[in-house]
Amino acid sequence: MAEIYPSLVQCAIVATAFKILLFPAYKSTDFEVHRNWLAITHSLPLWDWYYEKTSEWTLDYPPFFAYFEWIMSRVARLADPAMIRVHNLEYDSWQTIYFQRWTVIVTELVLLYALQMYKSILSGSLRAAHAAAVSILLSPGLLIIDHIHFQYNGVMYGILIASLVLAKKKSSLLASGLVFAALLCMKHIYLYLAPAYFVYLLRVYCLPPKSSPRSIFRIQFLNCVKLGGGIAAIFAAAFGPFALKNQIPQIFSRLFPFSRGLCHAYWAPNVWALYSFMDRLLISLAPRIGLPIKADALNSVTRGLVGDTSFAVLPNITPRMCFVLTLLFQAIPLTKLFMRPTWEGFIGGVTLCGYASFLFGWHVHEKAILLVIIPFSLIALKDRRYLGAFRPLAVAGHVSLFPLIFTPAEFPIKTVYTIFWLVLFLMAFDRLAPAPTRQRLFLFDRFSTAYITVSIPLIFYCSLMHGIIFGKSYEFLPLMFTSSYSAIGVVGSWLGFMVVHFTE
Amino acid sequence: MEREALVRIPSFPLAAFLWPARSSVSQWELLPLILMVVGLFRWAAGLWGYSGFEKPPLFGDYEAQRHWMEITTHLPISQWYFHDLEWWGLDYPPLTAYHSWICGKIGSLIDPAWFALHDSRGSHDPTLKIFMRATVLVSEYLIYIPAAVIFVRRFSRLSGVPAWTSSVALVAILMQPATILIDHVHFQYNTVMLGFVLASMSSMLAGRDFWACFFFVMALGFKQMALYYAFSVFAYLLGVCVFHRTNIPKFNIPKFIGIALATVVSFAILLLPIVAGTLSEASRGITAHPGGAHPPLPLFADLAKHLNTEAFYYPVIEQLVQMIHRIFPFARGLFEDKVANFWCAMNVVIKLKKYPAELLQKGALVATLAAIVPPNLILFLRPNKHPGLLPLAFATTAWGFFLFSYQVHEKSVLLPLMPMTLLLAGRQGLAKDTRAWVGFANILGCWTMYPLLQRVDLRVPYTVLTLLWAYLLGLPPTSLNAYFQDGSSIWSQWATAFIHGFFYLTMVFWHVLDMFVVAPKDKPDLWVVANVGVGVAGFSLCYLWCLGSLVIESEILPPSWTGKEAKTKSE
Repeated sequence: MAEIYPSLVQCAIVATAFKILLFPAYKSTDFEVHRNWLAITHSLPLWDWYYEKTSEWTLDYPPFFAYFEWIMSRVARLADPAMIRVHNLEYDSWQTIYFQRWTVIVTELVLLYALQMYKSILSGSLRAAHAAAVSILLSPGLLIIDHIHFQYNGVMYGILIASLVLAKKKSSLLASGLVFAALLCMKHIYLYLAPAYFVYLLRVYCLPPKSSPRSIFRIQFLNCVKLGGGIAAIFAAAFGPFALKNQIPQIFSRLFPFSRGLCHAYWAPNVWALYSFMDRLLISLAPRIGLPIKADALNSVTRGLVGDTSFAVLPNITPRMCFVLTLLFQAIPLTKLFMRPTWEGFIGGVTLCGYASFLFGWHVHEKAILLVIIPFSLIALKDRRYLGAFRPLAVAGHVSLFPLIFTPAEFPIKTVYTIFWLVLFLMAFDRLAPAPTRQRLFLFDRFSTAYITVSIPLIFYCSLMHGIIFGKSYEFLPLMFTSSYSAIGVVGSWLGFMVVHFTE
Repeated sequence: MEREALVRIPSFPLAAFLWPARSSVSQWELLPLILMVVGLFRWAAGLWGYSGFEKPPLFGDYEAQRHWMEITTHLPISQWYFHDLEWWGLDYPPLTAYHSWICGKIGSLIDPAWFALHDSRGSHDPTLKIFMRATVLVSEYLIYIPAAVIFVRRFSRLSGVPAWTSSVALVAILMQPATILIDHVHFQYNTVMLGFVLASMSSMLAGRDFWACFFFVMALGFKQMALYYAFSVFAYLLGVCVFHRTNIPKFNIPKFIGIALATVVSFAILLLPIVAGTLSEASRGITAHPGGAHPPLPLFADLAKHLNTEAFYYPVIEQLVQMIHRIFPFARGLFEDKVANFWCAMNVVIKLKKYPAELLQKGALVATLAAIVPPNLILFLRPNKHPGLLPLAFATTAWGFFLFSYQVHEKSVLLPLMPMTLLLAGRQGLAKDTRAWVGFANILGCWTMYPLLQRVDLRVPYTVLTLLWAYLLGLPPTSLNAYFQDGSSIWSQWATAFIHGFFYLTMVFWHVLDMFVVAPKDKPDLWVVANVGVGVAGFSLCYLWCLGSLVIESEILPPSWTGKEAKTKSE
């Protein structure tokens, strides 16, 4: 097989050099969160992990992630023993920074490996698969979240991609399911994608293939036992030790803190951001059209920085409503997947599950957009219709991450890197994506071009002009614009992709 | 490399990165992407510390540049060169002062406390750091980068190099680790001066000799270090007047007078603001000496006897004399600190300090002249033979100055490295031989600056940027790909590989020593001295290689002497 240049490894080497240069960059409280988890897992017995609360950043990821931290803490001890003391809050010696930043870079090798797998397994255009793989490897989302803000998404999205790729071949379907189960035991946010896995594995692994003359309800029992047993074993390995001491309720109270508000401190660009934006517009319009305004909600809405959003004009949203809407919009594309279970349809289903939970979920964080972008990247180059839906998502999703990094020194890095990535890959994708077999949605293409064009003045206004015109006042305005703008892009690309998914 | 463009596999990683752009991608789509990437690496490197960070009492280069912004924005122009010498007194030519004034004015709009007179000394406000980093980056993007892009484009076209190959060379030139480390990490504005020199060289290639004068005067006016190139500029321009398009001397007098005039006018433009400012301030009663004293001139004391100190022009004379006095501190020693310079290395063998300073100065002068006359003579005799001679002659001359002149700083190695690295954009520039030598010079250059960088904890950016560049160009220690190619003599290949291999191994070994072995108590500087010794030897080889290439390329010697004839036939 002829190699395509630049190879993934070459890209990874240069990207690593850049990431090392970013060591002294801004790091969020997540850095301290992970340091604290290193300390907890290193110094406390297993059964105290989910009870420890010296730091406010208690352990709230599932057990496999805790084991992962435990393994890293063995090495951390050699780098700087002070780092792994539970009481050493906010400790950030240079050894600690170097060590933690390095762990992110090293564990990201999993992503590199998964992308190699993706390339080797794909049948269609090798150049397109290569471009998609490189685009994920160099994703500005991962750069901003993992290497500046600080988290371990690289390794986990690597595992997710490996699992998605394994689902391509019939022989490795079981492995795909088990790898995904393990991923769930590492970070429970991937539960959002679980319905697609459930439907797909049920259909192609547990039920007989469609071509078989027998009834669809003739279940493949052996496969069910293998899958069920495997998943049970993985969950037992993760939660078993804690179940022995009846700690499961405590763990669940840590993993699912339902007391949080609808919108995160900053509005993730989803339907609720548009809803909040409408509400804000209605505050000024309400007196004229005679709608009542809830006075107590006014204060929190105007700030835009809300723990527990309440709306002044529109009805309030409950977690139950979010849950029902999410499930509904996941179910719609999954029925299609059930009827016609192809691998591309599965990736599309995973993507649409990500979309639904991101757009309608309760307390969604803007970082969750990667749940949509990364699976989507794997099929974005299928043809120009897919690409048409992907383009506004790529712009909106990455622009919406900008408020995560608000320090002036990192400002040029996040903007220039994202613009570089968008220009490079949207240009490359444009050349590589084949013409579709079906009619394209011409209006949608117009929308996506217009949408991308608007981003330029928007970034310019939010990052520069606002500060010059208003100084420190109305700080919520740029955030609101960014979030509403991105929300329109994400919703638009969702609608576009739904159409593509159903007309395929 | 023209041949290599047909090859199916990129011969080193940097070519692989530009591989998809070989066909169908216009250079104008590629260029913005290149500029974004090199900018990202510069800015990310700038997140690290700068020289003198939290190192009282004097701090470092960063404080010097900041301090100049402070004094130029607060003091009357006539006092700029007279203000407190002890605290980083302004000792760069006027263009640096004007540049500081502009930066200081803009910075004061953001936060006046950054440049408050006297109170801001040694400030390490983190936002100020961002502003200062931004001034370096913006200055570079306004001067060095456009000059480099235009130079590389023109130089490649004249050398018959395809556009894609020249883009590869452009990235290699812009990612040069030494420049990024010194300007964007350690902190200085060398790229502004280097950019003007590049613009001057580019004008020479284009035949715009008056512009070449203008840009070169601007380079000199920004940093006196540009004098390293002055002989080559002079030799080239004189050569163009005498041997225009032919080997038969024919002195073009109008051209000569034009060039002389252009130089004078350029200097006049350079000095105009400070002269006009001094005159206008003198008429308003503001003098260079706030106390009202009239100290004698610091240099040329006899001059004052012939002048009327009360005349209207006297403040201007005083100003210019003081400026020269500040810019050329003749009173300092032969070398500062430990530099990979011939004299510093000699000092280990013979203690040079026991000789009278005057003798040493004369010795340095003779040695430097001996080193720089041959390349400039060739450039004078063959100014337009082919475009590759220009960077070669500039590099050879700058190496000569760096090795033998007086008062050299380790950062001055940027001067020979710049024109030498430009060779990558020339004929066969990315072929193995040139790549190996240019790479060797750059990596050795970075390595000799390591003691300077590690003093301010910059080991990580040093390692990352140097190794990254070596990797991109397929050089040791990451790859041996730059050695052994078909077509040239096996002996010279082995010799190059052996010599370079020896130096690379020594550099690695030195790093191991420096990291794990403490220098003996009675010789605390032993490792630094070893660094200097190896550096001088390596740089001398670079000088010889540049000179040798210049002799061969210029075809100034009879063909039978250089073996060039045989080579041309075999091609």
